Amino acid sequence: MFRRTAGFFTVIFGVLLLTFLLIHLVPGDPVEVMLGESASTADREQLRTDLGLNQPLVQQFGHYLGKLAHGDLGQSIHTKTPIIELIKTRYPATVKLAVLSLIIGLAIGIPLGIYAALKANHWQDFLVTIVSVRFSAMPAFWLGPMLMLVFAVWLGWLPVSGMESHASIILPALTLGFGLSAILTRMTRTSMLEVLNEDFIRTARAKGLSENIVIFRHALRAALLPIITVVGLQMGSLLAGTVITETIFSWDGIGRLLVESIEKRDYPVTQACVLVVALSYVVVNFLTDLLYSKLDPRVRFGA
Amino acid sequence: MNRWLKYLPSGLLLFWLLAVLIGRMLDIAGIGLQGNAIDLGAILATPSSYHWFGADDLGRDILARTLRGVEISFVVAVIVTLVTMSVGVLVGLLAGFYGGKIDRLLMQITDIFLAFPGILLAIAFAAVLGPGMVNLMIALSITGWVSYARLTRGQTLALRNRQHVIAAESLGASVPRLLIKHILPLLGSILIVEATYSLASIMIAEASLSFLGLGIQAPNASWGAMLRDGVRYMLVAPHYVLIVGLSLMSLILAINLLGDQLRDKLDVNSSINQH
Repeated sequence: MFRRTAGFFTVIFGVLLLTFLLIHLVPGDPVEVMLGESASTADREQLRTDLGLNQPLVQQFGHYLGKLAHGDLGQSIHTKTPIIELIKTRYPATVKLAVLSLIIGLAIGIPLGIYAALKANHWQDFLVTIVSVRFSAMPAFWLGPMLMLVFAVWLGWLPVSGMESHASIILPALTLGFGLSAILTRMTRTSMLEVLNEDFIRTARAKGLSENIVIFRHALRAALLPIITVVGLQMGSLLAGTVITETIFSWDGIGRLLVESIEKRDYPVTQACVLVVALSYVVVNFLTDLLYSKLDPRVRFGA
Repeated sequence: MNRWLKYLPSGLLLFWLLAVLIGRMLDIAGIGLQGNAIDLGAILATPSSYHWFGADDLGRDILARTLRGVEISFVVAVIVTLVTMSVGVLVGLLAGFYGGKIDRLLMQITDIFLAFPGILLAIAFAAVLGPGMVNLMIALSITGWVSYARLTRGQTLALRNRQHVIAAESLGASVPRLLIKHILPLLGSILIVEATYSLASIMIAEASLSFLGLGIQAPNASWGAMLRDGVRYMLVAPHYVLIVGLSLMSLILAINLLGDQLRDKLDVNSSINQH
């Protein structure tokens, strides 16, 4: 337990350090890149002081951490809005999208995976596997436009993009959810196949339990454990996947904020978005780890 | 699998490579359609006998641009794979072989890189480095070596105590010799499988970054940028996004299926990649 927690904090420290260093990787003078060549010397000096770029690196990092501890992420270069306010307005939209995608992914992936495992090596299994291979090979920037083309342009059932109506979330959520379901289908299939060969399943069947009880109460419960880890890991990819999906569908979440900030060269905002997404990922993974060890008595920490 | 079906992935891949090659040769010979040639009379033209795949928003031939896109994407993927594999394997070998403090430090660093989900870190690096093909490759390389390092480290750890390694060591073999002659060859098949999958994932990453405007810059063709333009003109010219999308999918699918076949053939089951 201690080692896990210590590892967790080391990683968080590393993430902070790496995001902090980002702005120093800008080729040439970051201030000039951000403000453009036409900016006055006074403006440049002002920004340099604001960002603390004229201090030694170590001191800058300390300063950065100190500000973070007070919930201060700096301010946008262009609008002068505190970045924390931007994040607060955008983050909920991303979480909403990610959670709905996760639900879609689970609702499709787990039943399909069970079905494929039960029909292992029949044509149904082959079909499901091919489809899931196909889906996981399809990145968001492919699937999104395709779904948009079919459901919004050709069929006209759903809005093309934006956030005006409640139905607007459906297409971006499907885009992310389908990708997730592909991975979950394969994981569920593998995990179920493994469990179905175990002794306790044979025993359960030999006892004369109905097939439904054997599959759903005995096998699925054991098979779900590895799936939880995958869900945790995928939750992070979901958060990153939102960058592209939100851009396609004009969904005003943190991913779109990131892209907008890059286009405007508003690096403090870019930095903050990267930090928030990465930290969310690390925290979700840590919680998944904890949950996993709670659920599986075989997992002992430090082992 | 069906007797013929199993040749589908490699066949498809070969088809694309040949198409790129032929397109390139026609380009050099000055025959056929130039990818960057603007034809204002053919803006967003639908597929025809002249423009097989139609034309884009500047009247440029989509087929020619798709082929250029494949070529650039492939070049980027191969270079980035070579770079990331070399660095990753070296780090993994050292960490796995020496263990102890070096191992812990190196793994701590990879942990930090892995804390950034998906292509987020590549996006961040590409954003601060600025757009362009070289910066794109740098961004993808900085973030891509980690999975090779983890994979190699795990394998090396297991191979380190194999008898042939210990025997060679006790006969006085140097560390580089042990690593290169006695451990690396055993990693061959697992690395080949991993590299195949990573070709596909780097092509996807390249297209994603170009989609966001961070990768290949105009007038050069890139699938990501073409898809973005296709989305923009979806209402008036749905063929654009559809054709580029289907082409991209067939290529990525072919590479991934090839990876699956290689994995089965070389009997590698511990690939960390879950494509």
